[in-house]
Amino acid sequence: MEEVRDGRVEKLAVLFERHQVMLYNFFLRLTGNRNASEDLVQEVFFRILKYRKTYQGQSKFTVWMYQVARNAHVDHLRKQKPEVPLDEQFTEISSTETLPAEKMDAEIDVALLRRALDQLPLKKREILLLSRFQEMKYKDIAELLGCNIGSVKSAVHRAIKDLGKIYCQLQGGITL
Amino acid sequence: MTCEKIIEQFADHLTGDLDEKSLAEVQAHLSSCPSCREELESLSAIWTKLGVLRLELPGPALRQRFYSMLEAFKEGLGEEEEQKASIGERVSAWLGNLMPRRPVYQLALSILFLAIGLGGGFLLTERSRTASKIEVAALTQEVKDLRQTTIMSLLQQKSPSDRLMGVSWSTQLQQPDEKIIATLLETLNHDSNANVRIAAAEALYLFYDHPQVKDGLVRSLALQTSPLVQLTLIDLLVEIRERRAVEALRILIQNEKLNPRVKKRAELGLAQLS
Repeated sequence: MEEVRDGRVEKLAVLFERHQVMLYNFFLRLTGNRNASEDLVQEVFFRILKYRKTYQGQSKFTVWMYQVARNAHVDHLRKQKPEVPLDEQFTEISSTETLPAEKMDAEIDVALLRRALDQLPLKKREILLLSRFQEMKYKDIAELLGCNIGSVKSAVHRAIKDLGKIYCQLQGGITL
Repeated sequence: MTCEKIIEQFADHLTGDLDEKSLAEVQAHLSSCPSCREELESLSAIWTKLGVLRLELPGPALRQRFYSMLEAFKEGLGEEEEQKASIGERVSAWLGNLMPRRPVYQLALSILFLAIGLGGGFLLTERSRTASKIEVAALTQEVKDLRQTTIMSLLQQKSPSDRLMGVSWSTQLQQPDEKIIATLLETLNHDSNANVRIAAAEALYLFYDHPQVKDGLVRSLALQTSPLVQLTLIDLLVEIRERRAVEALRILIQNEKLNPRVKKRAELGLAQLS
């Protein structure tokens, strides 16, 4: 990133190749919308270029990148229409008869988890995604969110606990 | 240890970031505290379950859009730098503002500056004028000679990047002598590296009013085999409206092995020139 900041903008391609899939999935799990997620990844890299001179190099690049990503997401939410729930976008299980029972269970599991995540309030979902899927350490998340590491840990704890509750409720509502 | 202290460690337990000592403490507590044990078990279960959510790959359009954005940005950056170059203009505008509005004052100010300039200049240079003139001329010649020698030497280096540097330096000369022109033509016709040949063609284009250059460029067309060099030459010849190139282009088009893109460009060039 230092090289990008100092004028070698073509080096951004390396960062793009390294982080695009993770960022895309971060947004996908936040917004539940594939097109919007691709737009957001594009927006993040555009902002990185635009604000490259503000990169201080003191914090990790990923911390800075997720800061940009969160801001882009906030802006996206402001101008966004009501979102399509995540699980509606994923391929529905077309026919239960053609699937072996185990696979069917797994598919339902995935759908349920996605729905449960979707119902988790945004702040909790975000912190959970960062710690569970985005390979970020608690201290990096603390730096990103501007709070202390203890609050991050207890927030993750609460988010998981809440997710578990929602998941259990959803599971109870499904007839197998 | 209290339940509260233990529960604080659960987040680290989930990510596997507990050190050995803390892990032992947590395990010791769990063996005697069913409620904490149950809590950690249910947290771990859901944490692990989240692993079934696989990464999805974004569509190929994302990569395409990113690279076109990067290209566009790089071009924009070039323009930005050009704008920076116009700082000179801004400074002159600022100086312009300092100028008095009324013509009479403007005239007075000009005369004052002129007087200061002339007086100062006269005092400073009266004695050394002749001597310094000769000195400057000698130095200028020396620098020019040195630059030409360096260019000649660079153009004969083994490394293509050195030769490229030589070509690039040659473009800074105001009036290259015949030796430089001949060496550039030699480079254009016989250098082993296509990039060096292209650079030489472009450098020669800058000196196209030199008698040997136009002729050399036309003749070189028949000698080139690389499509890129051929394309560059055709573009340059059309650019300088060199009518003698018509014949060379005709011969080139008749070559059956000619790259179709080059052929197309040559036909277009022919139409532009004739």
